[in-house]
Amino acid sequence: MTKMKYIIAALVLAISSVAYSHEMVPTYPELTISHIDGLQKTTVTIFNKRAEVEYYEIGVFTEEWEPIPFVSNYKIYKIPYLSTVSVEIYVRKEDKDRTTYICSMSKLRKKQVTRTAIKSRICSLVKQKRL
Amino acid sequence: MLNKNITTLGVAAAILLSAQSGIAQANETPINGTVQSRCIIQTDTAGTFGNPNAYTLTTASADGGENAVIRIDVTLANSYYAEITAPSEFSSSPTLPDQVTWTGDTEVKTVSDSTTMGAYESGKVELGMMDRYDLTATGSTWFKTSSVATMGGNKAFPGGNYTALVQADCIAK
Repeated sequence: MTKMKYIIAALVLAISSVAYSHEMVPTYPELTISHIDGLQKTTVTIFNKRAEVEYYEIGVFTEEWEPIPFVSNYKIYKIPYLSTVSVEIYVRKEDKDRTTYICSMSKLRKKQVTRTAIKSRICSLVKQKRL
Repeated sequence: MLNKNITTLGVAAAILLSAQSGIAQANETPINGTVQSRCIIQTDTAGTFGNPNAYTLTTASADGGENAVIRIDVTLANSYYAEITAPSEFSSSPTLPDQVTWTGDTEVKTVSDSTTMGAYESGKVELGMMDRYDLTATGSTWFKTSSVATMGGNKAFPGGNYTALVQADCIAK
């Protein structure tokens, strides 16, 4: 009977501690020369541990949060639950000095959200901009 | 005699094979991994609106709602800001009869280390619906966000599903 109580308590703890997360690395990506003339390149890796989210949008911004044009395979990536995706991002050489933040933001599907929902965004700081 | 020899050979072959498979199993297979500093945003509780009267939707537990709870883990001290923004509009709702007034607030609910993270709440910067926290220590912080939507002119919220988004940002500094 006591054993059963422990098992139930462990199950309750395990269920209650389930959390859904969004991760992106590195914290400080570095823009480096790419194989394409006039473009600088960096790579970020996103891990989706949010079961209710399947899509993440990539954005590149200045220090004042103005969007900077960039190229990647997609702007919105499908990242299935518990999957990792590496994203190669290319910016123009002339935008290199303005490029400050690279962000990934969760995209919620209308049918998937309940009455309130949480939109998560992680922004890495380009290494050259780190003080 | 022939049968006996075949049996002996069979047994020897089986022993050899099992020995070989044993050797194969003893091989070391590397599992590679890289540890990098990071920020992790976890949705602890999505939150729910209660409807205490016809013209109010609130996450207050006394009114049948539930606050949104977000956990942010950082593995590198003094490298991130957390910005939590309470909702200021519905992302989906029925057609509304009037303007909605929003109020909301975020506060630190729990921290994993009160010695190094105890000043997070007192040190936060509030900019409208957004609260900015300087994550100066490694560990986990739970943020609690409340939200109240009030329909203008005391008009009733039409029946239907309402969704509002709390935005949690983790920004490297």
